[in-house]
Amino acid sequence: MIIKLSGQVIKRRRLDYMLLAALVLLIATGFLVVLSAAGGLSFGREIIHKYISAVPLAAGAFIFGWLFNYQIYNEQWKAVYVFILALLGAVLFAGAIVRNTSGWFRLGSFSVQPAEICRIALVLVAAAFLTRNSRNVRDFKTLVLFGMLIAPAFLLIMLQPDFSSLVITAPALLILLYAAGVNLFYFALLGAFALAAGVFPILWTFTALRPEVMEAGGFMYIIGRTAHSWVYALGFCAAVLAAFAIVWQGLKQFRVYLPAVFVFIMASAVISGFWCGFFVNKHLKNYQRKRIEAFLSPETDPKGAGYNVLQARIAMGAGGVTGKGLFSGTQSKLGFVPEKHTDFILAVLGEELGLLGTLCVLALYMVLLWRTAAVAGMAGDRYGGLVCCGVFGIFFTYMTVNFGMLIGFVPVAGVPLPFISYGGSNLVASMWAFGLVESVYSRRLTMV
Amino acid sequence: MKTDQFFHTRRLRKLLIAACCAGAVIAWRLIDIQLVSHQRYAHAAEENRTQIIYHTAPRGRILANNGAVIAGNLPAFSLYYMPAGRPPNKEYTDAFAADISLHLAIPEDEIFRKLNNAFKSGKATLLLSNVSPQKIFAVAELQVYYSGLYILEETKRYYPLGFFASHLVGYMGAMDNKSWLRLGGDADYRLNSKIGKSGIERHYESDLKGLDGGLMLEVDHVGRVKRIIKDNKWRAGSDIYTTLNFDAQKAAQDSIKKSLTGRGAIVALDPKTGAVLAMVSAPDFDPNIFAPYGDEEVLQSKKISIPEYNLAIQGMYPPASPFKIITAIAAAQTGRLDVHEKVNCTGKIILNGREFKCWHRHGEMDFMDGMAHSCDTYFYTLGLKTGASHIEQIERLFRFGRQTGIDLPFEKSGNLYGPAKRARNKTYWFGGDTLNLSIGQGELLVTPVQMAVFAATLANKGKIWRPYYIEQITDADGKNTFEAEPEQIAEAKLNDGVYELIHQSLKGVVDNATGRAAKIKGLDVYGKTGTAQNPHGDDHGWFVAFSAREGQEPDFAIAVLVEHGKGGASAAAPVAREVIKAFYGIK
Repeated sequence: MIIKLSGQVIKRRRLDYMLLAALVLLIATGFLVVLSAAGGLSFGREIIHKYISAVPLAAGAFIFGWLFNYQIYNEQWKAVYVFILALLGAVLFAGAIVRNTSGWFRLGSFSVQPAEICRIALVLVAAAFLTRNSRNVRDFKTLVLFGMLIAPAFLLIMLQPDFSSLVITAPALLILLYAAGVNLFYFALLGAFALAAGVFPILWTFTALRPEVMEAGGFMYIIGRTAHSWVYALGFCAAVLAAFAIVWQGLKQFRVYLPAVFVFIMASAVISGFWCGFFVNKHLKNYQRKRIEAFLSPETDPKGAGYNVLQARIAMGAGGVTGKGLFSGTQSKLGFVPEKHTDFILAVLGEELGLLGTLCVLALYMVLLWRTAAVAGMAGDRYGGLVCCGVFGIFFTYMTVNFGMLIGFVPVAGVPLPFISYGGSNLVASMWAFGLVESVYSRRLTMV
Repeated sequence: MKTDQFFHTRRLRKLLIAACCAGAVIAWRLIDIQLVSHQRYAHAAEENRTQIIYHTAPRGRILANNGAVIAGNLPAFSLYYMPAGRPPNKEYTDAFAADISLHLAIPEDEIFRKLNNAFKSGKATLLLSNVSPQKIFAVAELQVYYSGLYILEETKRYYPLGFFASHLVGYMGAMDNKSWLRLGGDADYRLNSKIGKSGIERHYESDLKGLDGGLMLEVDHVGRVKRIIKDNKWRAGSDIYTTLNFDAQKAAQDSIKKSLTGRGAIVALDPKTGAVLAMVSAPDFDPNIFAPYGDEEVLQSKKISIPEYNLAIQGMYPPASPFKIITAIAAAQTGRLDVHEKVNCTGKIILNGREFKCWHRHGEMDFMDGMAHSCDTYFYTLGLKTGASHIEQIERLFRFGRQTGIDLPFEKSGNLYGPAKRARNKTYWFGGDTLNLSIGQGELLVTPVQMAVFAATLANKGKIWRPYYIEQITDADGKNTFEAEPEQIAEAKLNDGVYELIHQSLKGVVDNATGRAAKIKGLDVYGKTGTAQNPHGDDHGWFVAFSAREGQEPDFAIAVLVEHGKGGASAAAPVAREVIKAFYGIK
């Protein structure tokens, strides 16, 4: 684009080439690795065909996202919102049922996963809402309204049910909220709630897995008992209230005056998080419980739940620095690595291309995140910046969860690694997301 | 904050820093897994993908001096099936099973079931183990028609001579906890390896074992065979040539079993080198009873029933009359022996008011008679004249109370007896002790192998050899990895003429007195009988001897002990006679 500004001719780049280069390199790497991973599968040929046909679609999605003015989503955010709900609703009723979940549309021989598109669209809607409420973004009311806006989409996804999708979307929206400037106290509240809701089921699984920890008595014994006994659970809530009251009084002695309401709200966040965890723990599916157990101690049952993670890690470790060479990984070729073309593709990458391969992919991801954050900083309007932050949040979460799963920092969550894993819908949606970032870039604010 | 109207720049920067931190942590872990712990994971991956079907290497043989195989191997074959590709149709499997069952004489449905499992699982399947060579020959032809049949050649320990030198050779058994701790560090041992449990089999395990071969298979995550990586041939173990004289050993075993109680020990040595020519501990056992190896409990019960105690090196007995030779040497060395001086044997001697009996009332005896008839009274008198200290000195010179140094575990050293030993133990020495010592009774204890070494030393006039039983070890390429070198560990030097005197007296014992049973035409046999008093039952019979072809140097030394044989002359000497005859090939 050439702008004439007070007689000066400024040539402005419309495309962030570094971002594009990183994307192209990632897709090229991913294609090779999927080619290798699918080689040993009985339906490998089919996968490669689908992958090849998804690439032009993805390119189209990128170009569409880039050329289409992103501000239109802001103006038409209600339409986008209705589109999301309609799509998620339709897939519930009309979707094909695969492995007890109805998250797919069948179009001829192709399957489309609308949740992937909706994740990006949800960011657009959330960003639009936060833009509209930019003046009172620090209010609690905004937060509640934001929650009410997001809840229906979340509910529809949970009805599929597709929890692994939420594993990405929920943290991404939190990052978006943070970037939008939400009051950190509310953030702390939300964090306390989420922490309690997440940590307690893990703790309970742990005490069930290792009864001797509970036998030793003390704190872990009480924690263990709260999972099954209402008396203990209620007692625990009372103890939390009391602990907060004591801390509040203690701080008073040091002349740190906190409003009593703050402390009370904080305590209730923890307690409600506890009850949420209690509820989650009661309704945890067997395979999900197994995954937590495998995360807590993958070596105790190497042939059972921990098998997948262990084998994936063996594959990565066996690759060494330079790897065994493309198409020569024994762990993946002989079927020891599970889900090797999707969630555990990093294991194939690590085995065949070695440390250099994994570090390169990690570096490319860091380039994506850096460029996205940079574009957010130079966005022409608040909406564009927030959209970039949402995209940043999504891919930051993808990277953390997928890499973290392989290196043993995060339980197995069934999350792919975009651009590297096989998955047409995911590839198209991801390219669209970075198309949006490029769109923001090309309409950025330029200081001359 | 210029752009703050749009955007929260500071928080954006923090997010980027958080992403960098996450990236750094991930990179650190990736380096940890892929660089630092690479070896461990690479090993795990390799173990994952390979399955090895081992072929046990044939163990080295153990042979007697004439080349007779004491421990050898029998071929045993295992039949494996390696499925490949898609499962075939039922007709094929049916025909396959029928053919195999026809040739191997096992039920068809069993083979059918195993084949079907193999097809279904895709795993390498053991169809039949321990197949005899005749049967496997027929199956080998089937390989042409049915691909995937694999014949693994293995071997099984077999002892063609059965009881032959069983204590020395030992036996084989399954790996147990203790052995695993001892051997498990060697990569070539597996939990189902068979190992030597005693004797040469255990002592020379590393030489006998050889290197196992193996069929290395590449398998996938459910154990389906993908391909055969390589077929490692085994390398046979080294052969061990023993010094055992086949005829002497055979005669020793047979004759001791025919003796009064059938219990006892025989050790025969070559006085020129110390080579063990025969070693028997009776009762003995047939090591073949472990050949099928069986499960651990059955083995345990068998083990209890077999006599593992090697009496030849572990049995301790009073030496009795053969010890009179020591007394005689002590007297001769100190110049207190007058060969012609006579002692009147009245059947007993009284010392300090205590009565010491002789086994017979011999009357007037000079040295030659005293030795020939083993007269206790004569040696009581001689002992008192010589003094216990001098006797103990000679006893130490001939290394009584010390291990002979034969390369076998658990050898006992016996018990030295004498005033100096007493003094060291801070107890007193009485006159009666001297009498007991001079006829070889009392606290003195010796093992049969010690007595054999003693006999050999007398035979070669003073050279004390370390007994050995391995002549050479030859590896699979025919190269000798070990060759025995006789080792003289001490010399019992005596005054001129003493050995000749002893020889003369011992020949007299055999020619016309207690040792008559061992007299053999054409041979010079020198020997001394003995009857070891046993407070727990019948006395033990001894016969210690060496022999030579008439007019030649002695080349065979033997010690025979018959437990509870009552007398050396009646029980032990005839046994020795058989062995000596066999050694010289006299019918």
